Amino acid sequence: MYPESNNPNPNLKPGVCEDASGMLPQCAPLAVPYVPFQQNNPKRYNQQDALSNGTLFPGLNLPFRVKEEAVKVLGTQLAELQALEFVLQELGLYLDTHADDKEAFALYQQYAALEQQARSKYEAAHGPVTQSAAANAAGWSAWLEGPWPWNYEEGGQK
Amino acid sequence: MFIYEKKLQYPVKIANPNPKLASFIISQYGGPDGELGASLRYLSQRYAMPYPELKGLLTDIGTEELGHLEMIGAIVHQLTRNLDDQQVREGGFAPYFVDHTTGVYPTAASGAPWNAAGIGVKGDVICDLTEDMAAEQKARVTYDNILRMSDDPDVNNVIRFLREREIVHFQRFGEAVRLAKEKMDQKNVYFTNPAFDK
Repeated sequence: MYPESNNPNPNLKPGVCEDASGMLPQCAPLAVPYVPFQQNNPKRYNQQDALSNGTLFPGLNLPFRVKEEAVKVLGTQLAELQALEFVLQELGLYLDTHADDKEAFALYQQYAALEQQARSKYEAAHGPVTQSAAANAAGWSAWLEGPWPWNYEEGGQK
Repeated sequence: MFIYEKKLQYPVKIANPNPKLASFIISQYGGPDGELGASLRYLSQRYAMPYPELKGLLTDIGTEELGHLEMIGAIVHQLTRNLDDQQVREGGFAPYFVDHTTGVYPTAASGAPWNAAGIGVKGDVICDLTEDMAAEQKARVTYDNILRMSDDPDVNNVIRFLREREIVHFQRFGEAVRLAKEKMDQKNVYFTNPAFDK
């Protein structure tokens, strides 16, 4: 059905595609769109590279024009929390359409535990991330005090 | 319900103000293919979706889009902070400035305020998901066009992140159509609308 050049790796098992390709039905009803299904257990970046690239999955990383080096998001406590939450967001969307992928769900559980730790660490140092977490602070000003997420001083200094 | 998290999904740290850039990036805040429309489109389409995967996906992507709205707001805010009288006259920013000063207002770059006419909620599974796939492509092209016109690496890092999210969302909506079809009449998916017909 497909030209051989679409499946150049002879070591792939039948019915398994390259990581940047996905599964299509052999025969399918007309007049509806088809996007190939991402296969279970796709290749993944680590959490920092996932956040920097905007996706957890190298196979879905399709930049505009020349790929400039993805800028590393600095390893602050906030960046670490953002990276872990990004993996949860991305895995969550994947699981919405791949609810039977048990490995991905186990991974989601592992990252959720890491995210909880990173959140506690961040909140202990920088104050509450949610309004209800302000209950653990010394006073309400912990919620009101900045920096609010959109604030960043001109010239690059906090 | 929704609970606010006091942080962005991806850091926005723009060193230099640039009102000209802000005058067109605002389109992803309140333009026809912007993040406000994206979130309202998906969060509103959820109610007519008959299958759990589709309710989940529209909830999760619609919520992420609200986070993207906040990131665009942060970009526009940082690009327009500490402007002097001369800067507000430059680069086509004056028409926005006269109406909104440096507040962040949901409008298209062309000046039309945000309008629900830019989104679709048809109450039909295949129709709405196909609209969503097109919507992700339109947003992706808007980000391509912003990257063509912007030389600021602080801005472009964020825009690249947001653009890549459109591609991932397109993939998931495409998979959602496939999941929906498997549950519908295999000989004719248009025989009924499972969101309405029983």
